[in-house]
Amino acid sequence: MLDESFRILIAAVICWLNFMTVDLIFKLPESGGVCGATAIAQEVEKGGGNLNGGFMMGNIVSSPDASAGTLLASCGVFCAGLFGGLFAAVLVYIGNRICYDPGYAGTTGCITATLIVYGATQVGFAASDFIAGMVIAILTIQGISYVHASRLIARLWKVRCRLLRGCR
Amino acid sequence: MNEFVLVACTILVLIGTAAAMLERDPFNKLISLAVMISGIFPFIIDRGLLDVAIATALIAPLSTIFILMVCRRMPA
Amino acid sequence: MIAIYVCAGIAVYAALRVIFQRNTMRKLPFLNVVSFAVTGIIALLLPHPITIAAAAAYFVGSTLESNAIASTWAGGIKKDE
Repeated sequence: MLDESFRILIAAVICWLNFMTVDLIFKLPESGGVCGATAIAQEVEKGGGNLNGGFMMGNIVSSPDASAGTLLASCGVFCAGLFGGLFAAVLVYIGNRICYDPGYAGTTGCITATLIVYGATQVGFAASDFIAGMVIAILTIQGISYVHASRLIARLWKVRCRLLRGCR
Repeated sequence: MNEFVLVACTILVLIGTAAAMLERDPFNKLISLAVMISGIFPFIIDRGLLDVAIATALIAPLSTIFILMVCRRMPA
Repeated sequence: MIAIYVCAGIAVYAALRVIFQRNTMRKLPFLNVVSFAVTGIIALLLPHPITIAAAAAYFVGSTLESNAIASTWAGGIKKDE
């Protein structure tokens, strides 16, 4: 239908929106879930970034969150269709508990991503586009500049706190 | 496996190994070893040895955790 | 299929950023990008249902390892005095 590189870019935007929305709803930038995340957040802040953005980046590194869920959902749909994605959600849930994380951000992100990717494969996308797209999306958050990424996350966190209540 | 992915994974292994040799701090050495192990994985998968891959994926981080328990960070 | 080229290229870029970053804690986000990219390469090389388990095991193991490095560097769980 569309050219493959263009499909990968659209898939990257969809994956970015999916995992950012689920992570912000589950309050990842509020505090470090496990103690490794707090260490990373403090180093990010010392380097000129924002503390809340650092908390979210630390949480992404230390435990499977919605970004990991989206990636494994895309891999699941690529390998085995809709049930592959749901199997990936079970594995992400087990991974969360192994990493001492009591939250459900990873599992929720995986289930929403399975539905999105499966729906997109019915209208002309390929699941491999979403795998590449998710890798590009995580590159923009973790892989280019932690200063700018943490400030962007902090701005989105303020918007989330105004829209939905329940954060400090 | 086409050549681009082969070369990329080889570069990952070589970068990880070289960095592990040249770094001084033990935490940096462990991070470089993690990069090296990441480069080895696609070769195992490409051969179809999925059970070996699952076993390695579970054992390699466990050995890193044991090394961390042995050499804790000394108080400054 | 250019998806696997994208993943391989991002893996090499992030591995170079890991090596050239001096601060230990700031290396960990780049290592996380390497894990994402290699998980993508694993899934794209061999489309089989058991590959999902291999990719998930690799990713969870790598996450656990990064978490262990970060929390050991920070001194472990703070015990209340």
